[in-house]
Amino acid sequence: MKTRLIRWITWVAILTGIFLSISIFSLIIGTSDIPFRKIISVIFAGRGTTEYSILFDIRLPRIILAFAIGGALSLAGVILQGMFRNPLVEPYTLGISGGAALGVCLNIVFHLHRIFGVLTLPMSGFLGAILVIILVYSLSRRKGILKIQGLLLTGVMISFISSSLIMLIMAVSRTEDLHGIVFWIMGSLEEPNWVLIKLAVGVSVFGLVVSYLFCLDLNALSLGEEEALHLGVNIEKTKRLLFIIASLVTGCSVSIAGIIGFVGLVVPHFVRMFIGSDHRILLISSFLCGAAFLILCDTLARTIISPLELPVGVITGILGGSLFVYALIRKQIVLGEK
Amino acid sequence: MKKRQFFNLLYSVFLLIILSSPAYPESLEKGIESKTSFKRIISLGPSITEQIYLLGAEDKLVGCTIYCKRPKEAEGKEKVGTAVEVNLEKIVNLKPDLILATSLTPPKAIDKLENLGIEVVIFSSPRNFNEICEQFLRLAALVGKKEEAEKVIKEVKAEAYEIKQRVRDLSKPKVLVQVGTKPLWVATKDSFINDFIEFAGGQNLGPAGSGIYSRERVLKQNPDVIIITTMGIVGENEKKLWQRYRAINAVKNNRIYIIDSYKLCSPTPVSFIQTLEELAGILHFDSEE
Repeated sequence: MKTRLIRWITWVAILTGIFLSISIFSLIIGTSDIPFRKIISVIFAGRGTTEYSILFDIRLPRIILAFAIGGALSLAGVILQGMFRNPLVEPYTLGISGGAALGVCLNIVFHLHRIFGVLTLPMSGFLGAILVIILVYSLSRRKGILKIQGLLLTGVMISFISSSLIMLIMAVSRTEDLHGIVFWIMGSLEEPNWVLIKLAVGVSVFGLVVSYLFCLDLNALSLGEEEALHLGVNIEKTKRLLFIIASLVTGCSVSIAGIIGFVGLVVPHFVRMFIGSDHRILLISSFLCGAAFLILCDTLARTIISPLELPVGVITGILGGSLFVYALIRKQIVLGEK
Repeated sequence: MKKRQFFNLLYSVFLLIILSSPAYPESLEKGIESKTSFKRIISLGPSITEQIYLLGAEDKLVGCTIYCKRPKEAEGKEKVGTAVEVNLEKIVNLKPDLILATSLTPPKAIDKLENLGIEVVIFSSPRNFNEICEQFLRLAALVGKKEEAEKVIKEVKAEAYEIKQRVRDLSKPKVLVQVGTKPLWVATKDSFINDFIEFAGGQNLGPAGSGIYSRERVLKQNPDVIIITTMGIVGENEKKLWQRYRAINAVKNNRIYIIDSYKLCSPTPVSFIQTLEELAGILHFDSEE
C-alpha cells in the first residue's frame, strides 16, 4: 500500500516536472529569438518592451489555454473511456463537438456575432454543446436508467447529423461566412480574451476536482455496471454526474478553442499504458500529461515552419498518433519476451 | 468515409475562400483613416501589398505574407505568415504601427493585435469595381499617397467608361465564370467578377448568394462563353470536362477560356482595367488580345 502511494507521488512529481519544463520551454522558444539570459532582465524591466509583450501577451496566454484545454480533454477522455469501458471513446464521440460546431456555424451564418459581439461565438458553441448533451442524455434514458450503449450510439449519430448539417450550412452560405466557419473548425489556442482563458482554466480544474471525488466509483464502473452495483455504487447517480462533468468540460473547451482532435483519445491510453488504470492516479496524471502534451504540440505548431503557424490539430494528430503506435508496439514486444 | 468527404469539402471551400471574395463588416473599421503618420506597415493580403507598391509606398512596408509575390520585390520583405495564419510574434517583433488586415485574417488575431495597441485596419474584399476604387483611396490615405491615388482612380474610371461605351451597343453574350470545381463554384452576382462581365458587355449567369452550382443548370442556361480561372493545373481538365457537353453554345463555338485567377480574383484598380480589356476582347471579338 505504501509503496504504491510512493510510486504515485513519484509519477505525479515527474509529470508535474515535465509539465513545468515544457511550459518554460514553450515560453522561451518562438519565432523571435529571445535568449534565455535576456528573459530575466525582460521580466524585471516590466511592461512596455516588445520582448515583454511577446512573452506575456502572446506566448503565456497560449500556454495557459493549452494547459486548460489539454487537461480538460484528457480528463473527459479518461472519464468517458472508463465509464463506457470502450477504448475508442473520446470527448468528441458523443457529438458534443458537433453540437458546438453547429452552434458556432449558425451564429456565423446569421451574423449574430456582428450584432452582439464576438463573445457570442463561444457562447453559441457552448449552447450547442449543451443542447446536444441534453438531447443525447434524454434519448438514452429509459425508465430512469441511463443506457450506456444507447448513449454511445445516439452520440455518434448526433455527431454525424451535426457534421452533415454543418456541410449543408457551408454549401448554402455566402463565401464571406465560410472562412469564419473554417477558422473555427480548425481549432486554435489563440485567444485574445483573458476572461475566457481564466474561465477555461477554472472549468477544467473544477472538472478535475469533482471527478476526483468519483475516482473509486469509476474504478468500480470500469469493471462493469453490474459489478459496480454489487460493490455498492449508486451507478445511476454516478453515471449521470460523470457524463455531465465530461460533457461540460468538453463543451467548454470546444467552444473556446474549437476542435482540437486526438488529445482526449490518445493521452488517457498513453497514461494507462505507463502508470496503470487505477483512476485514483489516472485522472490527475492524464490531466497533467494532456496539458503538457498540448503545450508541446502548440509550441511545435507555431515554430516548426516559422513564420508560418500550423493548426495545432495537425501536430496533435501526427505526434500523438505515431508516439502511441510506437509505444503500443514496444509494449507488445516487451510483453512477448516475458 | 463521411469524415473524408467532410474534409474534402473543407479543403475545396478553403481554396475557394482564398481565391474568391469575402467581405467583412465595415463597422469593424475605425475612423483612423485621417491619420497619416504611419511608418511601419504590415500587409496581410497579397492584393494590399501589390497596391502599396503601386502607390509607391513600399518603403513603409516592413512585412507581408508569403503569398505576396507581386511585384517581384515584395518577395524580399519580411514574411509574417499567410493570409489566414499569421504569426503574431513575428508581427510584434517587427514593431509595426499599422496592420492592414483582410477579411481572411483570423478575427482572434485581429483582437489580439488591437489589445497590444497596434492599429489594425481591415480591408474587406471588394464586392464591385467602386469598392475596389474606394479601398485603393482609403489605402492611399493611410500611407500618405492620396493625391497619387486620386490621379490613378480618375484615369482608371475614365478607361472603364470608355470600354463600357465601346461595347454598349453590341449583343450581350451569356457568360459563366467558374472559380471552383468539385463542387462546381461560379462567380456570383454580388462579386466584382460580376462587374467584370457587365462592364465588358456580357451577362452573368451566376446566382446571387452562394456560388455553389449545378452542371445541369449550366446546360439548361446554355452560356455563350465559359471562363475558367486557372486553379493551378485544374483549368485544362475543367475545359475538357465542359467540352463533353456539345449542346452548350460555348462548346459548339469553342469559346471556353482560361484566365489566370490572379487577374480575375484579386484585382487592383489598374489590373482591373487590364483584365477588363482582355475580357471585352474575349466576349466580343473572340480574341485574347
